[in-house]
Order: sequence, then C-alpha cells, then structure tokens
Amino acid sequence: MGVVDWILGVLVRGMALGTPLLWGALGEIYAERAGVVNLGVEGMMILGAFFAFAAAQVTGHPGLGLLVAAVIGGMAALLHAFVSVTLRANQFVSGLALSMLGLGLAGLLGRGWEGFPLSNPLPELSILPPLGVLLAVALWALLYHTRWGIILRTVGESPAAADAMGIDVALVRYLAVVFGGMLAGVAGGFLSVAYRPSWTEGMTGGIGWIVVALAIFASWDPLRAIGAALLFGTLFHLSFRLQAWIPPEPLQMMPFAFTILVLAIAARWGARAWQAPAALGLPYLRGER
Amino acid sequence: MRGHVSRWLTSAVVIAVLLAFIPMGYAQQKLKVGFIYVGPIGDYGWTNAHDVARRLVEQQLPVETLYVESVPEGRVEPFIDRLVAQGAKVIFTTSFGFMDGTVAAAQRYPNVIFAHASGFKRARNLATYMADFYQVYYLNGLMAGALTKTNKVGYVGAFPIPEVKRHLDAYALGVRAVNPQATIQVRWLQDWFSPPKAKEATQALIADGVDVFAFTEDSPTVIQESAKKNLLSFAHYSPMYKFAPKQVVSGELVHWETIYLDFLRKVLAGKYSADNLQNVDYWWLLAEKAVEVGAEPGMMINPLFVSRLKAATVKTEDLGTLSVYDLVQKRIAQMSKNPVAFDPFAGPIKDRKGVLRVPAGQTLTVAELTSMEWAASGVVGPWPGEP
Repeated sequence: MGVVDWILGVLVRGMALGTPLLWGALGEIYAERAGVVNLGVEGMMILGAFFAFAAAQVTGHPGLGLLVAAVIGGMAALLHAFVSVTLRANQFVSGLALSMLGLGLAGLLGRGWEGFPLSNPLPELSILPPLGVLLAVALWALLYHTRWGIILRTVGESPAAADAMGIDVALVRYLAVVFGGMLAGVAGGFLSVAYRPSWTEGMTGGIGWIVVALAIFASWDPLRAIGAALLFGTLFHLSFRLQAWIPPEPLQMMPFAFTILVLAIAARWGARAWQAPAALGLPYLRGER
Repeated sequence: MRGHVSRWLTSAVVIAVLLAFIPMGYAQQKLKVGFIYVGPIGDYGWTNAHDVARRLVEQQLPVETLYVESVPEGRVEPFIDRLVAQGAKVIFTTSFGFMDGTVAAAQRYPNVIFAHASGFKRARNLATYMADFYQVYYLNGLMAGALTKTNKVGYVGAFPIPEVKRHLDAYALGVRAVNPQATIQVRWLQDWFSPPKAKEATQALIADGVDVFAFTEDSPTVIQESAKKNLLSFAHYSPMYKFAPKQVVSGELVHWETIYLDFLRKVLAGKYSADNLQNVDYWWLLAEKAVEVGAEPGMMINPLFVSRLKAATVKTEDLGTLSVYDLVQKRIAQMSKNPVAFDPFAGPIKDRKGVLRVPAGQTLTVAELTSMEWAASGVVGPWPGEP
C-alpha cells in the first residue's frame, strides 16, 4: 500500500468521525457567538442519537430519524436557553446539568432498544459529510457577511450595545442556542443511524466534550471548524492506527491539549478575531454592567 | 336487618384486609438479594448479562431482588449500606473495582452474606465467583485460524490487564493450533465501553489486512464495522448474532445465573451462611455451563460456516488429523468434563519472546491464570506490562 493510499485512508476515517464533530461544533459556535456557552452538547447528542435511532427503526427512514433528532436537540437546548437566558442562571452549571440529564434520560428511554441493529441505516460517508462542509461555509458567510451575522456577533460581544440598537438580546440568544441544539441533535443522530447504526446507552462516549473543545480550537470560526474537525477525527483514528509505535493516550489527549494551547496563544499574542466573544458566559440584564 | 347487613359487611372487610396481608407477610419472609452493578443495565455487555441472570434468579427461586446500577468503582460502600438498610441479606458486587469496598462492608455487616465477582479477597462472610471465557476464546481461535485467508486475525482489547491478556492468549493459542502461520494483531481501547474507539480500532486492523475479528468491548461495534467489509467476527458476551448473521461465526456467551442459582440455593438450604464462605470460590467454566460457545444461545457455530470448518483439516498430537469442525467438537467435549480432559494452557507453552511459561506436562493454576501478563507467540502489537 502506497503512502498516498495510506494518507487517503486515514483522512477518510478522519472525515467519518469529523462529521459529527463538525455538526456539533457549528452549533456550539453559533450559541457561543451569541454569548451562551452550552456544555450540554454530550446530553443533546445522546438524546438525538436515541430519538434518531428509535424514529428510524420504527419508520424505516434514517433521514426522518435525523429530522427528529434535530427537533429533540433543539428542545433540549431550549431548556438550557430558558435557564441561562431567561432565568440568568450560571451557564456552565446549566449546561453540565443538561449533559447529565440527557445521558440519564436517553439511557432510561432507551431500555429495550439496545441489542438490535438498525434495519435501514444511512451509509456513513454519504450526505452528512458534504452537507456539513456546505453548512459550515453558509454559516461562515452568514456570520461575517450579513446583517444577521453582525447582530449575532454584537449580542455575543456587547449585549448592552445590541440592546441599545433595539435588538432583542434574549430572542437572538434563544434562537442561537436552539439552533445549536438542533445541530448537536443531528450530530448525535449521525452516530446512531450512520456511524454505528444501533443504540447503546452512553454511545456518544464523550464526543460531545470534544465538540466543546473544537468550538474553542476553531476560535469560533465555522470555516476553521472544518479543518479542526478533520484534524481531531484523524488524530482519533491515528491513535489506533499508530498504536504499534505510539501509545494511544497522547494522541487521544491531543484535541484537548491543542485547545488549551490555542487558548493560551490567543490570550497572549492573538488578534482580537481569535479570542472568545467578550460576553461569553455572562447573563445579560439591562442596565447592569 | 340493616344491622345484620352492616355486621356482615364489617366481617367481610376484616377478612378482606386479613387476606390482603397474607401475601405481604409472605413477601416479607422472602430472602432479599441485592446486586450492585458497575455499568447501566442497558450496556448490552457485562452489566446487562448480570441483570439478565438476576431476573432469571427471581423467576426460579423464592427470593426478592434489589439492584443499583452505574455505581462508580471505589464508591461501592454507601450503596451496600443502602441495600442492607433495605433488608438485603445477600449482596453480590459485580465488578473487580468493588473488591476493597466489599471487604470493608463485609466486616461492618458480619451477618450479611457477600459475594464478589472476579476478585480474590475472601472472608468468613465473603465469597468470590467468576465465569471465565478462556476455554471459549481458545475454541473461537481454532475456528478463526481455519477461516482467515490473509493469515491475520485481529483482536480489539479493552484494557491490557490479566483477564483480557488471558483471553487473548487463549485465542492466540487456538489460532496457532490450527494455523501456525497466522498472526494475531492487537489494538487496545483503554475502555470497557466505547463504540467510537472500537470502531476506529477495527478500521485500523482492517487497514492492516486483518480479516477475522474477536474483541473485548461491551458493544457490537466491532461486528458491525467488520461486517460492512464482509469480514468475519466472533461475538463477545451478549447474543450478537443478529448484528451480522452472514459474518458472525461464533462467540462467547455467559450464564451468570448458573452461579447465582447454585449459590442462592445453598444459602436457602442453609449450607452457606455468613460464617463459612472463607474458601468458597466459584471459578466456573464450560463444564459448569457458566459459559457457552456461540453468538446466540443454542447455536454453537453459525451454520453458514460449518462446511468450511469441515473442509479444513488440522493435525493434532492427541487426536491425529481431523477437520477443524470435529476438533472444536472434541475439545468442547473434553472441556465439558469435570475434571477437564483438555486445557488450552497445557504445556509446553513459550511466550512470544521465547520464554517457557508452561512446562511440558503442566497446566496453569487459577492464580497463575488470573495474574497472566505474558503474550502468546503469534501475537503482534503493543503489550503494556509485558514481562
């Protein structure tokens, strides 16, 4: 097997795992661009995974499963939006709670659904990988080249300024968080109808946390997320491919190590564009600074 | 007349209430048995298998069962306290990591009977038990050795610990007994359950030319992934035949209920008490029917592969030349006897570095089996902790 084939083979595997990473990260990037951290990605993904599997198994249409996953992911995110935007509770705590809730709820609802293969799975490398890339480009254009993008970024950078401009900060944040949840749901659905077409409790196996790191690693830029997802997916695969020479742990740690590195570099030397939205993680209350 | 009716009604109510209490009184006398699981009961692996056994026990014996799932290792004691408070008189802790917590709880509750799976510490009220697969892995290895075309069989391992190494070595010995040219390619997950890791490990082995797979991971991921390329596999732990009916050859199935039923029957009969468990250690294998060869109960070998296994011949020292299919059947028969007439780890066996690990004419003790660190010859790949 030639070197080119080897590299191509590895990249294809990187793309397979990169796909749920990309979809999830695009959603997280939009939520965080609006100023809301959502650590509930793992929970939204696993709920998406379960409902996508159940819907696809019952109806025989994996596409419908993904649609259901999007709706469920959006509903789960709505809960986070309510707690963190309307109630202005700590976003990190609420997100962590959502992750635990999602894992528990999906496990409970999933009783009796495990142990069966999906009868009509979606091929792994069919529609979702290219669609994810197109979505990334579209979301990038929307973010940097449209009035909507300016509104979203303003809400994340300076909600007070947005408010003064007459923008409904809470509405924008709700929309961004729910949109993010829908993409996380699809990412989870991809796992259960295409990546490994069956349901098992806890099947996301921590991918949601890599997604959170990826949004930061891509410095909240949808285009950079494409490369970052491919890189993280490839590293994960390489941790098994290169196991004869390199122990798997360092390679599996790499996504998180890279993220910390990028954060450090951005904080020390980075341009403004590389840094986190200024109001990220902060609840907004009119008149409060 | 009215008074008569009301008196009649009153007595009827009293009788009804008394009747209602009879089953409750009966239920309170039932032996309460608690189970502590390390994973969720829906894991389709280790914990699921214990829970299936728990339900069978409840059906077949006059006992009431309680369980707690997803208990973190090292935090088992508060959960034991809870089960004892709920009236459990027998408690099974079903993960190796629960060992020290169970030992401590056994001292605190001297009148409660404890049994710990896969450990080695016992006490007067603490027994140990294990249903082990090494014989079954050997049999799977015999079939894998006959079915590989690339002479590369793969093994996706969870953690490089003695239990998994023992199974891997037994598998490798089986493969090599039929096919001395074959190698056993290993990848480690560092996880008991991780579908994404199992998937990429399978892909990595496929890229290296592996065409038959066995594994230790609590999901059917390896089977599903290799089946996409029409490569063969052996199921692990749960009935996984239906995940790839054209590619799953055989596998390992566990029947924890054989141990639970035997243990609890002896408790109910008064044979086991909280005073005499110091030397009670179940190490149950094929002969005790605690484990089974197959990917679906009752189906030892997928019928699709029987003719290929009958066509492949193998030369053995004790049975002469015979088909691999017949060899598998003979070995099962030999290992189903008590004491066994054949053991996969019968010497002489050298490890992959050439060190003699089992001298000629000897087999390994349970203690040697449960502390195995060496790699059998033919195993290729990383082997953390190799002596």
